[in-house]
Amino acid sequence: MNKELEHSFVELLEKHQNIVHKVCRLYTNNQDAHNDLFQEITIQLWKAYPKFRGDAKFSTWMYRVGLNTAITLYRKNKRRINTQDFEGVQFKIKAETYDDTEEQQLKLLYSAVHQLNDIEKALVFLYLEDKNYKEISETMGISEVNARVKMNRIKTKLRTILNP
Amino acid sequence: MDELERLKKDWKNQEDTYPKLSYNEIYKMILKKSSSIVKWIFIISLLEFAFWAVISFAFKDADSIVRFKEYHAENIMIPMTILGYLILIYFFYRFYTNYKTISATDSAKKLMENILKTRRTVKQYVGFNLIYLFISTFVALGILFDRDENFSEIIDKASANGELFKLYATTILVTLFALAIAIGLILGFYYLIYGILLKRLNSNYSELKKLEN
Repeated sequence: MNKELEHSFVELLEKHQNIVHKVCRLYTNNQDAHNDLFQEITIQLWKAYPKFRGDAKFSTWMYRVGLNTAITLYRKNKRRINTQDFEGVQFKIKAETYDDTEEQQLKLLYSAVHQLNDIEKALVFLYLEDKNYKEISETMGISEVNARVKMNRIKTKLRTILNP
Repeated sequence: MDELERLKKDWKNQEDTYPKLSYNEIYKMILKKSSSIVKWIFIISLLEFAFWAVISFAFKDADSIVRFKEYHAENIMIPMTILGYLILIYFFYRFYTNYKTISATDSAKKLMENILKTRRTVKQYVGFNLIYLFISTFVALGILFDRDENFSEIIDKASANGELFKLYATTILVTLFALAIAIGLILGFYYLIYGILLKRLNSNYSELKKLEN
């Protein structure tokens, strides 16, 4: 791989790294696992980069590789013990929006999302990232109708988790 | 507002809470090696191919093979060996082309299908080897019964005592039992390795498949 390619890739990833961090937040429980997954996604992105064509947006392409790595390619490292709970480290509520009940409810919501399975998390992630059903269906490899149906089921599931 | 809408609002407010890795930190990462499931499947599959290839080579000079030469059973052994190698080449070619189609830029479902397809090819290869082992053991047994001098004596003796059926039955049963243990061990080993490695992939794939029904 030539230096120019390396440079353009690292620069692009540095700029769009939030996408990878978001995937990691959804699929891991602690900082070590987050770093591990970030690393693996970076490697997979880099491996696929020579075939990346400018006709697709780099960020769109990242969603695909990032989710594929988290759902399918990443081999969870079992040796690491979860030292911190998801709710404790993952989502900080900004000071200006601080509200005890709102914060509690959001914490519960994030925790409920974390209880979803890998596929459900992927759909929720794409939804949170404002992707339309066409993009969701293309990324997951399911039909648009099925993506909608599944999303409705996820909403119901979340409600059940929150109000057992 | 439903739950997901509330979450979306907060999700957007989180943008500046994520870590910021520097250019150099990211650069260091691309120099590291992947530890993806595909890499593990590839390594294990290569070991499987190597294992069966080594077995066939290891037995090439074994006493039993030298003895078989004395039976002049080349018309059976040579075609079987050639067939074995041709099938090995065929499977390796298929495995390699399947492996090359695995791409992290495919849709989630397609990626899972391609990984499972690669895995299936190796599974078929192992299946072929087990069947080959089964058949060649019985072919070898047949040649032994037919052409081995020691066996001929034993057969003659048994025949004189009226115990020919008992002799055949015992030999076949003992061989079957030994084969069953060997095949069982091999299958158990695969089940364990791939069970661990593919558990998550299988459950995610069936989750996606379930959506289509």
